[in-house]
Amino acid sequence: MHRTVPSLPLAPSVKVKLINAGFQVASDLIDMRPLQLCKEAGISQEEAVEVLQMLRDDAQPHQQRAATESVTALDLLHQEQSLGSIVTFCSGLDNVLGGGVPVGKTTEICGAPGVGKTQLCMQLAVDVQIPVCFGGLGGKALYVDTEGSFLVQRVADMAKAAVQHCTLLAEDTEQKQALEELTVEKILSNLFLVRCHDYVELLAEVYLLPDFLSEHPEVRLIVIDSIAFPFRHDFEDLSQRTRLLNGLAQQLIQLATQHSLAVVLTNQMTTRVSNGQSKLVPALGESWGHAATQRLILHWEGLRRLASLYKSPSQMEATIQYQITVQGFRDATDEPRHASPSENYSKRPRMEDLS
Amino acid sequence: MVILREGICPGINEDFIKALQSEDIRTVEDFVSCNPEELAKKCSLSYKALVAVRRVLLAQCTAFPVSGADLYEELLSSTAILSTGSPSLDKLLDSGLYTGEITELIGSPGSGKTQVCFSVAVNMSHQLKQTVFYIDTRGGVCANRLLQMLQTRTPNMEEQMEALQKIKVFRVFDVFSLLACLQNLRSNGLQKASVGGGSVKALMVDSVSAVLSSMLGGKQNEGMSLLMQVAGEMKMIAKDFNIAVLVTNHVTKDGNGHLKAGLGQSWSHVPRTRVLLQRVENAETPSLRTATLTKSSRQACHLVEEFDLCHWSEERSASISGKRKLESSKP
Repeated sequence: MHRTVPSLPLAPSVKVKLINAGFQVASDLIDMRPLQLCKEAGISQEEAVEVLQMLRDDAQPHQQRAATESVTALDLLHQEQSLGSIVTFCSGLDNVLGGGVPVGKTTEICGAPGVGKTQLCMQLAVDVQIPVCFGGLGGKALYVDTEGSFLVQRVADMAKAAVQHCTLLAEDTEQKQALEELTVEKILSNLFLVRCHDYVELLAEVYLLPDFLSEHPEVRLIVIDSIAFPFRHDFEDLSQRTRLLNGLAQQLIQLATQHSLAVVLTNQMTTRVSNGQSKLVPALGESWGHAATQRLILHWEGLRRLASLYKSPSQMEATIQYQITVQGFRDATDEPRHASPSENYSKRPRMEDLS
Repeated sequence: MVILREGICPGINEDFIKALQSEDIRTVEDFVSCNPEELAKKCSLSYKALVAVRRVLLAQCTAFPVSGADLYEELLSSTAILSTGSPSLDKLLDSGLYTGEITELIGSPGSGKTQVCFSVAVNMSHQLKQTVFYIDTRGGVCANRLLQMLQTRTPNMEEQMEALQKIKVFRVFDVFSLLACLQNLRSNGLQKASVGGGSVKALMVDSVSAVLSSMLGGKQNEGMSLLMQVAGEMKMIAKDFNIAVLVTNHVTKDGNGHLKAGLGQSWSHVPRTRVLLQRVENAETPSLRTATLTKSSRQACHLVEEFDLCHWSEERSASISGKRKLESSKP
């Protein structure tokens, strides 16, 4: 053990007492008995037992291994190829994302109200359940709803459309067999819904996720819709908000990597005024922009809905058009538009393009 | 403070330590700051033994001064300059990353910090044939992208696989795991790697702000200490093993609206060189970036170079640089 005492995950008061007693390295501590440690360092017996337990029996064996063992990039490549991604049923978006929403990373979806963020999230919750023989992941989904915008009827419609799509594709016996099990009821039963009313509930839920995931190892997608809502109203201390969000982001990426699942977060937009001009930017501040691994911005351009990949470690930036239909999130079809600019019958105000 | 234990020097045994502990002397500091005559009387230990042990302990634990000339010789023989693979970036960094130093990349989200780290790692593993350690705290490592970069450099599959094997990735997501990882590297990881055949010359940490920013501020009193421990570990690794350390950090705005590095004043003194990456507004290609030198002990600051993330090894013909007249006065 080469850990120095100040770097151990213990309470600061305990660490100060240990350092004052002269313990510098973890190897000084490891051979001690609790009573001995208690006397020498002047800490209570419970604290002494806690310290020794932390040193000896790794409560987090996975993290301990990750810190000391490295993975070569070649092994990482094989791992990534086996993880796959979740399709969105919009081929343009799938191409831009490199196959779909990647598993093992956090993706953030930002957009103005009504542009389709919740629709995309619900579509992903259905798509993750498509069986492996059809090219999906065959996993379950956890949907954390903070805004109250989750509608079961809409998910049922999307599920029906997905089942119909798979029925058309089914060719061999394996696929036909999987198709018999794929029903709207089954899809809905594999979707776990949690309703959080404020940020404390959200933080608690994320804290409890490791236990939930060890009970349900087939979960492949976690959606938090939206992460902005509980943190935007009623929060006085902005620096505390930034700290909490950063901590949350790290916990989520840890879950995504350890349990091989995709985490999708929805964010809202806010206006930034600079040099007399106003621009729509994602909410929650500058430092939140670093939190997610990938960032997708959905925006309006007149009557069209566009999706732009703004930040990604492996894909180039690109913009594509999509549309929301009865069946869900789909590619935009090129229909000839007869509407002239004066006949703008959309109730949505024109938004500025994002530069 | 080193605890007094049997065996740290000949002459110290169990009874010796027990006798000292009865006088409340537990550490080496307490021992050497006491008067041996008084101690001999109080603890009923022999004066000669006490003086002998004291001399040995002082010799073991003292720091010795090194002359400047020796230091300079050592520096000349051990420092290496590692090229990043991009001529514009090399120009900015005074021909590349220096071993024994920490270099920092800062930028807003999407400005290309992770891409630059990837490009540097790929250059080192493929061109310079060195092992690279990459500590990833944000899950941003994408081996597919590394492979893509290698494929543009060489069509040979074997070379690509070999280069990929030289990049070793650690994935840690909180500051205690990061410290565990760094301390493990310092004590045996790096020696193992250099014994195994390849030499390690570079360590990248992407990003250091992701794990530290949630610990700083508010009523938390441990954040600063952890920040300094991380800085200390990285500096020791850089100096003791002659490694170039590259870290990434986020940006915040200061009072005048200018961009500055995150993590505050204390962290800003830790890296030796700092480069700010920014997107180019209204550029023809979306992969253009500008790099500005904001802290350097070798070149005049505010030099700006433009480079393209997609064409890493090409030199940009139109490079903008501010304060050119300062360059001519450089020795």
